[in-house]
Amino acid sequence: MKVHIKHWSAVAQWRWNIGNTNHDQDDEGDVCGICRVPFEGCCPSCKMPGDDCPLIWGECSHVFHMHCLLKWLGTAASKQQCPMDRRAWGAWL
Amino acid sequence: MASAAVRAQVAAKWQESFNRLNRNEPGISGLLAFSEAWTLAIEFLKPRDLSDPAPQKQYDLNKVRAAFGVVGECRRLPVMMEVFLEDMRKSQHLITREVEAYMTLYEVKVPAPLQFVVSLNSSSQSNSDPEAIRSLVYRLVEWYSAWKPTADLGPTMISAYTLAFQTHIFSVLPPSFARGIKALVSATLQRTVSQSQDPQDRLLWQAFDTLSLIDRYETLIASIGYEFIESYVEETCARKWSEPMLATLRAWMIDKIVPWMLYPFARGATNADEAKTMMQGVGSRFDFHMHKTLCNLRTKEIFDIIVDFPESAGALQDLKECLARVDQRADLVQALRQANNKRLLHPGADTKDILTHYVSTIKCLRIVDPPGVLLFKVADPTRRYLRDRPDTIRCIVASLVGDGESGDSLVDENDPILPLQQPEMENYSDPEWNPEPIDAGPDFRASKSSDVISTIVSIYDTKDLFVKELQVLLAQRLLAVKDGNFDRERRNVEILKIRFGEAALQVCEVMLRDMTDSRRIDQHVQSQKVSSMHPTIISRHFWPALESSDMVMPGQFQILQEQYAQEFSIFKPDKVLRWLPHLGRVHLQLELEDRTLEADVPPLEAAFIELFSEKDVWTVDELVLRSGSINRNAAVKALATWVDMHVLKEDSEGVFRLLSVAEGPTPGSRPQAPKPAEAGELPPVMSVQQQQAEQMKMYWKFIEGMLTNLGSLPLDRIQSMLKFAPGYDRTVEQLGSFMEAARREGLVNIKDGMWRLGK
Repeated sequence: MKVHIKHWSAVAQWRWNIGNTNHDQDDEGDVCGICRVPFEGCCPSCKMPGDDCPLIWGECSHVFHMHCLLKWLGTAASKQQCPMDRRAWGAWL
Repeated sequence: MASAAVRAQVAAKWQESFNRLNRNEPGISGLLAFSEAWTLAIEFLKPRDLSDPAPQKQYDLNKVRAAFGVVGECRRLPVMMEVFLEDMRKSQHLITREVEAYMTLYEVKVPAPLQFVVSLNSSSQSNSDPEAIRSLVYRLVEWYSAWKPTADLGPTMISAYTLAFQTHIFSVLPPSFARGIKALVSATLQRTVSQSQDPQDRLLWQAFDTLSLIDRYETLIASIGYEFIESYVEETCARKWSEPMLATLRAWMIDKIVPWMLYPFARGATNADEAKTMMQGVGSRFDFHMHKTLCNLRTKEIFDIIVDFPESAGALQDLKECLARVDQRADLVQALRQANNKRLLHPGADTKDILTHYVSTIKCLRIVDPPGVLLFKVADPTRRYLRDRPDTIRCIVASLVGDGESGDSLVDENDPILPLQQPEMENYSDPEWNPEPIDAGPDFRASKSSDVISTIVSIYDTKDLFVKELQVLLAQRLLAVKDGNFDRERRNVEILKIRFGEAALQVCEVMLRDMTDSRRIDQHVQSQKVSSMHPTIISRHFWPALESSDMVMPGQFQILQEQYAQEFSIFKPDKVLRWLPHLGRVHLQLELEDRTLEADVPPLEAAFIELFSEKDVWTVDELVLRSGSINRNAAVKALATWVDMHVLKEDSEGVFRLLSVAEGPTPGSRPQAPKPAEAGELPPVMSVQQQQAEQMKMYWKFIEGMLTNLGSLPLDRIQSMLKFAPGYDRTVEQLGSFMEAARREGLVNIKDGMWRLGK
């Protein structure tokens, strides 16, 4: 017997590719260190998740919602440091 | 011994009387004349027996009048009157005898034991002939006029006579006479209504009037009118709700009842204005009674009127007008609440029906009573009942978004879409402000709007429940959409946004955008590398919890998944896909040795048939193992689908074989169970209840920790500690029932209100 797939309307979730694929089964997902909202959610000032509220990867390997981090960097107290480890912030591209 | 003074006094009196009677005539001729006149007058007045066949003695009226004049001159009229009345009393037995004779005639046909019953019931059931009563009335009038003193004797004499006469006849008339009167009067009413005027009627009423029967039987006569109105209203208005009947009824009253009422209630009126004044009181009583009757009728029918709405709008208009005249609002509330309890609020009624009825009730009572007091009172039990039903929210939401198959949604498409109304504080500086209606209860909240949705949503204290349920429903719909057309869903969300506010539906907005994004991404991926896979890519956290599954797709399915995921990652380098393999649908073509067939099946079925392409015989356990740890029941069900399609065959318990060549049904094989309708099957999105239960599992960990550390705790203490947990929003009652459930499972036990962990 041969099975031909004509049309498959499947369902999938998207995740940010933040490198830790080993946590695949961890259902809770990681949260942004600033706003404590899951990465796949959106930062407090956004309404749409995903491309409209992207993540930013730091050289120090820390990940945040981009909007959250920019807001943080915009404050004087930040001294342009990563809020997690106080190293100078540099975006990792 | 009489003294001389007394003797002188008596002599003076005597002289005075003599002078009065003798009127200064010579000798005693005056005295003689008076004696003659007296005799004549008394003789003339003396009541005679009408049934006496002897010819009536003729008097010279001039002589009689002169005799009256003489008696009057001598100031003996009061005495004459007394003598006359005494004479009359002596002859009363004549009338009594006749009354008895007529009444026997009237009652003779009714057997004695029945009489009591008959006199209770209406006259129409009586066999007795009211004509006997009519003759009696006429006869009494004859007596009355025969004995009546002439008008010359002045009104005092006449009224004294009338009084004495009436007193007597009223004392001798038996109770059954009233029944006869009733029959006669109803007959006149019937004739007036049917426009067949009978000159007899006028005579009869005159006779009644002469005998003062109208005054005596006024309530009886009125009750005839009332009964007639009642039966007419019942006959013309019962179950006729489409048009307002009041105007017709009023016209009927003026047309038919008023002419009849003129007889008893406007007798002696000389012109229309006078008649009008006389009729005013009784007329408004009749009018009131008509309203009351209609009101009672509609109150009795109210439940069905509501069911029939909007076809029954006319009846509601009537009811409104009637209630304004007749204060029976409390009765209406009572009747409707009773009917609701009896016919609606029981386990046999569908939630949807209850809701529909509730909505109709809202609409109907808004017509009857715009301030909404009645509605508030009636709706209270319904609302409480609905709150206790588990599927109410689902039902409301389903109808909010217009359930495709059942066309009758609760919401009228033409209604303007309004934001939900919050109960607002009263603005006392508003010049239009009105106090609450007088029968409003203390907890009555006036809601200005008649917005049905607001009212329904306010059954619950919070609208969050609706939004959650809406999310679940939307998720089910979106995942079930096959042709990629979800304009309908988009429209619904837009409408609901107006109602619930933008923020509450943000999540739904994301869900819709996921759908469009998926389409765009799919177009891109297809342009790079054509695939038969068209996934919906959803943002987690924004969709209701989907049941998780560890299912693994075998063979070419897995290859497809991987290929697609790869293409996706090229398109969106910062994202990866996580498949939810148990969701969605697969359209397959099976190429068997002797036939090809197409099937549209859920993924699990597809996975199984793929496995069968590897080898022909599988046991259920093997299949379960290969496709990840899935539910065995689900597996059996999936296999049954193929068995039904004659692709697989269950050779022995739990062992399935592929039918590469079709086989006819072998004798002795099990008759096929009817396939359950698959169309209604919805994607396995967790319902709100399931989600709550899921959440409670998390809180159970907290409770467990608490009880381990602190030994035993009362319920409210547990509640107050749980409040510190993020997202905890249960009431203490909900916690209580959860703890109770835990106790049944033996996890905890309770003693003196203190919970502790069970061993």
